[in-house]
Amino acid sequence: MLGLAPDAASAKAAGGVAKPGKWGGTGCDDEAVWGECRGSGKSVYRTGVDLTEPAYRCTCPSRKFPCKHALGLLLMWADAVVEGGPRPGWVAEWVEERRERAGRAARRRAAAAGRGRDPKTAERREQRVDDGLAELDQWLRDQVAHGLAQAEKAPYRLWDDAARRLVDAQAGALAGQVRGLAAIPRRPGWPGRLLEEYALLRLLVRAHQRRDELPEGLRDTVRSRVGFTVPQEDVLSGGERVRDLWCVLGSRDTAQDLLTTRRVWLRGRRTGRPALVLSFAAPGASLDASLVTGTQVDAELAFYPGAQPLRALVAGRYGAAEPAVPGGTAVREFLDEHAAALAKDPWLDRWPAALENARPARAEGGGLYVIDGAGDALPLRTGDPWRLLALSGGGPVTLSGEWSPRGLRPLAAWHETEGTVVL
Amino acid sequence: MSAWNEHVTAALLGTERRDPPVLPEAPAEAGDRAGRLLDQAALLAVRRRAGLVPSGAAPEPVAPAPVEDRPVVPRAAAARLRRILAGEQTRVLPEWLGAAAERGYRVPAQALPDLLERGRGDRALRPPIARAAGRRGVWLALQNTDWAYLVGSGDDPGGGPEMWETGTRNRRVAYLTRLRSTEPERARELLRETWAKESAPDRAAFLAAFEHGLSPADEEFLEAALEDRGKDVRQLAADLLARLPGSAYGARMAARARGCLAAETRTVRGRRRTRIAVDPPHAHDEEMARDGIPFHPSGSFAPRGAGGPVGTRAAWLREILARTPLSTWTELFELPPMEIVCLPVGAAGEPSSRKGAVSESEGRDVHIGWARAALAQRDGAWARALLKGGVMVDEPEALADLLSVLPDGERDAAAADLIRWVEGRPDLLRLLERVPGPWAGPLAEAVVAALTASAARPGRRDEHLVTRLCRLADQRLEPAAAARLAPLAERGDAAPLGVAELIATLRFRDEMLKELTP
Repeated sequence: MLGLAPDAASAKAAGGVAKPGKWGGTGCDDEAVWGECRGSGKSVYRTGVDLTEPAYRCTCPSRKFPCKHALGLLLMWADAVVEGGPRPGWVAEWVEERRERAGRAARRRAAAAGRGRDPKTAERREQRVDDGLAELDQWLRDQVAHGLAQAEKAPYRLWDDAARRLVDAQAGALAGQVRGLAAIPRRPGWPGRLLEEYALLRLLVRAHQRRDELPEGLRDTVRSRVGFTVPQEDVLSGGERVRDLWCVLGSRDTAQDLLTTRRVWLRGRRTGRPALVLSFAAPGASLDASLVTGTQVDAELAFYPGAQPLRALVAGRYGAAEPAVPGGTAVREFLDEHAAALAKDPWLDRWPAALENARPARAEGGGLYVIDGAGDALPLRTGDPWRLLALSGGGPVTLSGEWSPRGLRPLAAWHETEGTVVL
Repeated sequence: MSAWNEHVTAALLGTERRDPPVLPEAPAEAGDRAGRLLDQAALLAVRRRAGLVPSGAAPEPVAPAPVEDRPVVPRAAAARLRRILAGEQTRVLPEWLGAAAERGYRVPAQALPDLLERGRGDRALRPPIARAAGRRGVWLALQNTDWAYLVGSGDDPGGGPEMWETGTRNRRVAYLTRLRSTEPERARELLRETWAKESAPDRAAFLAAFEHGLSPADEEFLEAALEDRGKDVRQLAADLLARLPGSAYGARMAARARGCLAAETRTVRGRRRTRIAVDPPHAHDEEMARDGIPFHPSGSFAPRGAGGPVGTRAAWLREILARTPLSTWTELFELPPMEIVCLPVGAAGEPSSRKGAVSESEGRDVHIGWARAALAQRDGAWARALLKGGVMVDEPEALADLLSVLPDGERDAAAADLIRWVEGRPDLLRLLERVPGPWAGPLAEAVVAALTASAARPGRRDEHLVTRLCRLADQRLEPAAAARLAPLAERGDAAPLGVAELIATLRFRDEMLKELTP
């Protein structure tokens, strides 16, 4: 529950608020929890939580979101201190209002999608991207023609300039990727890595140049990798819909240029499909916390188009989340699945893993691995393996992680007695 | 060389200098050499990624942790530990760990990394961590050098005789202390072998271990140490000898003491009355110095009631009395300690016209000397007599120290009496600081009463006192006292600062201890 808190101080304060003595008029039903909290002084705050999202509302002046009152209320609800009852007027009103607003937003999105965008602007952008990618292609060929050996001593400017030109060409997604390449020549084994990245970039450029010959899914993949975004409303209205019991495998936050990105990895219990839900937050704002690691939720996802659909939006939820252990696979099974996904999307650089019977292992050089029951191992990519080591004690756990060509980044583990542990 | 490595080499050198390798499976397309190299490399890169098979170098599974012999704490307690480690009420962490270990629990494995990291920065936490971390804790600490302190720091520190040969000073002291507790004779002989070769600070550290298993058999060794070159070693030897019953040292000191205190009996209004006549030593000599009485004992310059300092003569007297076996006095006066303490004290040769009342300064010197002796010799009867006799009103620290000599059952009540005695004075804090927790029963009641009384008095000084008292009490007072403090916090705006916090901490500890009760 405290995983919902925006920071440690809120979690701490919530513990102090979660005392039945401070509350009056508490109650709950299937969809909401509510109560009135006595604050400092004479003020009384009305707090409500809509459990389906979850969404929070509180009359207190705190800028934190969710505030300590909402968290405290949820803590009490989790301890089963809050009793069921009919909704008082203000709660019913609020929930109604939320439903209405959601409906309005959906209609507005539909209207916006129907209106369409200015075809001339789109055409201009296509032209710019084409020119930018042609320039990138030349740049890539120059690098290989002059030899990668010079990259070891090259200044950051080499990649930064190329990235800037891509920004001008409105291929933003590629710009970040090219800028990131500057870090590679500082690491051991860099020539191979750099060649890999350059080669895949060239593959993308070539694919984009020949986009009219590509099948539809692959074309969408190429367009999104280059930086053409698909509006959310298009995904919600036209994207592939999959309803399932979605297990939350784990999440990871990364910060870049003042923007924090949260990647939440899901896997469907019935379909076995992986999904990625992204959310973004500017500094100070809190990220979407509606998907909690170690739970499963009955929901319908809308997938973004692509040859290997992965990114998705939550289109609708059916009931509250409940704790669940994801079904894991063996290492070999996971690698097969990853290879199949790569065959559809060769640029795939992250893929969610849930491994069963995973035990920590060490190679001769001291590098850490996870090894499954059959003795197959995957390298771990983490600076702080201690919690995983402590939890497993060398024994088997169910482990979820984010797989990249450089190793598995552990996200969460499930243990017989200790339950879900975020790593 | 694999196709991939050939491509990497070609790319490193540059296609201007070398032709790209041939890759028959790549679709043949027109284009320059650099483009061809990149296209072929893309094919190979995706193939490599997709074709990754589980690592061939066969990493070895990490050796499993030993099976735990103790159960993990209950779920609610585990959740509270997470809160404490996240920063809520961190000061209760030692108590949480101690309570968990005492009730036969261990911490959840997932909390170990955070906990061991805490212990790295805070030495005081290490013993309770070692007791509650379970076998998994040691197993984990063995894999991270930052946490090496946990290995061998528990109730059973490792290291055999080789530790004595090669260890650091602290490890050697630990080894010697352990040996003293089980085989004091062997420990002494072991130390005797290397005694002459050790440096003075080492000798002092090792000698300090003799307080464990001290017996008359150590007398000869300690007597020899009185002649040591190191000042600290000499002082330690003298202090240890003073605690040894029936030693020659004790007899020497008793002879000096009898020269200073004498029983004077006279008849006042038809009743025999005994008075203690005090005649402090007139001079300091070599022999006194050898027995650990310095020329300027500590405290000899401290101010004393009448304005002047204590002075060396009175300080020598205190030192001598502190080192004299207390049995000397029961034999001399033929009275139990309680009555001896209550005897009037006066300077020797004073005219009897002073009505036989206790002379302030002489009485204090004598009682302080006895209090130190009772503490060093762990004499419960004398400690009780000095606490109950009401003869040492100005020495709260010395009195608080005496509490530790009392048997467990009496301590709380005696401490409560003391608190009532000094109530309302700044001495209260000085006294309570020296009374270790947990404060329970009558002691807790007395503290609550003192807090309530101080809070009722207006004034800045009492406000300050209440705040500091709350701060002192929050980890030591028994949690049940929260209910008795509640009325104090419900006085609205007039509620003293700190009381609400104290109550919150006590409630937190109360819930915490309940969660840990099986």
